[in-house]
Amino acid sequence: MTPTTPSGADPSTGERLSTQDPPLLVERSGEGETPRREPEGGSSPRGPRRRRELADLPPVVRYAICAGILGAAYLLPWVGRVPVIGPQIQTQGIDWPSALFNMSYFVLLALGLNVVVGFAGLLDLGYVGFFAVGAYTVAVLASPDSDLDQRWPWLACVPVAIGVCLFSGLLLGWPTLRLRGDYLAIVTLGFAEIIRVFADSSSLLRGDRGLGSIPHPPGNWSDGSPIFSVRDATPYYWLGLTLIVLMVLAVRNLKASRVGRSWLAIREDEEAAELMGVRTVRFKLWAFAIGAAIGGFGGVLFAGEQGFLNSATFQLMFSVLVLAGVVMGGSGSIPGAILGGALISYIPDRLRGVQIAGTDAFEYRFLIFGLMIIIIMIFRPQGLLPDRRRVATTQDQEER
Amino acid sequence: MLLELRDVSARYGRIQALHGVDLHVDEGEVVALIGANGAGKTTIMRAVSGLLPVSTGSVIFEGQDITRLRADRRVARGISLSPEGRGIFPGMSVKENLDMGAYTRRDRAGIAADLERMLTLFPRLRERLGQPGGTLSGGEQQMLAVARSLMSRPKVLLLDEPSMGLAPKLIAQIFDIVVEIRRQGTTILLVEQNAHQALWVADRGYVLETGSVVRTGSGEDLLDDSSVKAAYLGVA
Repeated sequence: MTPTTPSGADPSTGERLSTQDPPLLVERSGEGETPRREPEGGSSPRGPRRRRELADLPPVVRYAICAGILGAAYLLPWVGRVPVIGPQIQTQGIDWPSALFNMSYFVLLALGLNVVVGFAGLLDLGYVGFFAVGAYTVAVLASPDSDLDQRWPWLACVPVAIGVCLFSGLLLGWPTLRLRGDYLAIVTLGFAEIIRVFADSSSLLRGDRGLGSIPHPPGNWSDGSPIFSVRDATPYYWLGLTLIVLMVLAVRNLKASRVGRSWLAIREDEEAAELMGVRTVRFKLWAFAIGAAIGGFGGVLFAGEQGFLNSATFQLMFSVLVLAGVVMGGSGSIPGAILGGALISYIPDRLRGVQIAGTDAFEYRFLIFGLMIIIIMIFRPQGLLPDRRRVATTQDQEER
Repeated sequence: MLLELRDVSARYGRIQALHGVDLHVDEGEVVALIGANGAGKTTIMRAVSGLLPVSTGSVIFEGQDITRLRADRRVARGISLSPEGRGIFPGMSVKENLDMGAYTRRDRAGIAADLERMLTLFPRLRERLGQPGGTLSGGEQQMLAVARSLMSRPKVLLLDEPSMGLAPKLIAQIFDIVVEIRRQGTTILLVEQNAHQALWVADRGYVLETGSVVRTGSGEDLLDDSSVKAAYLGVA
């Protein structure tokens, strides 16, 4: 499948499948005071159901594996040269570098949404809004079609766009902080619609006429031709991949920090978190803002590569897809978000140009997609690469 | 006086849950709140911990008005609630749950010492240290909730229905622990449906009915009180 993720090379994947199964609750009396019997091998310091993970390997091996996967990811544009499997992996109806680039910004979006939904447990259905805010900020500042007529270079727009995304994250977060679960989901859904309607009707964003000629990122090859152009999306893919690496490092550190622990506590039991002294309002705002900023990076990348945006670009389906990716990969898990994000982009692109009974399979993409999600959810309800804690939590709930 | 509620009223939407409650807890005391379901016991706990804003009246802690103080600030001041239904973090290990209890503290050495103290007080938790909280039995979860609350080194520990859903043997164990915590110097405000045992360990008690205090006195007096006996102790 997609070697951007550890899944392909991770030797422990097979084992995870099997170690999850043993019945954990063997006996339980009415009051539940009898301790549950632990399965064999429960002597591990982290409890009986610890799965074998990358983290258990010695650091040298771990870094080597990560470096190998990363190297392979950078070489993906040439995967077609691998005999036999290579051509199967490549997309047919869309050029391969563009498909890779699509994957890269979807992965960025999944990483960002994973902070909001996976880490903090806030169901955000309007995540596409931040993607749009990031992309439109670049377009408005850089495009010659814009009324502002600033014609900023792409790179200068990036910090502004990320700043605007952070701010819009806070803006959305602030009024919604008192809401929980379903109510929050509805409000975020509304937020995405507001952005779309605004894009449709405001003269600044020019509705479906859109904003074109958005400049590419800077840089020239040694022969003087620009690195980033419409001819080949490969450099864009590399740029996206580099951003992904940076975001993964940032998000990983956050997850392990006090901020991450606070998010985890909020996700598991918001009221209990408050009782421990967690400033829930502040950390929920942080989750929104950081998620929005990461989505914004996806947006600025997208604006540069596409060169043109209009109000039809940012459909609600985007939010749903990215959320599906996060859940499919394993909510709260960073490798899961990467894999899920890559899949939601790769599957439809791979279906392009494939004929099923005389029709392009791309037309059936949502059908095929839906089936895949259902199958994955049946066999791996916690996602493809689940977060350790989620496994524990979900199993606990199932036992009740 | 460590903690005082002056004429506190609180409501859930249009339903008034507390009607001008006055009560106080002195340092070193165990005070029990007893009453039937819906009498307002848990509401008082929520008002003291800051989870529920009071509509009128004031909450005084160590002589300072904390009525408008956020819940997370109250933890740092020394008020810690072990909530009804335990509210442990199911996906965190026992150790991580206990660490969350010390969230507002920065003194690493003190936290480590208190962790050790908790594991001595609750040996069962030591055996389960690496196990996710959600996989513990009901009694173990209750112990974890109490230990977690104590990790913030509270001046007053609020225990909401610690015996709920537990077997009689475990209930006795929980009350032993209440006595032990108190012996180690923590003030306790205890909410219980299990009135008999609550009044037995308590210095004083308050009897609540539909959001008001209807009777107060020492634990022994209330145990002897005929109306309390009739209503809550199942003795005619």
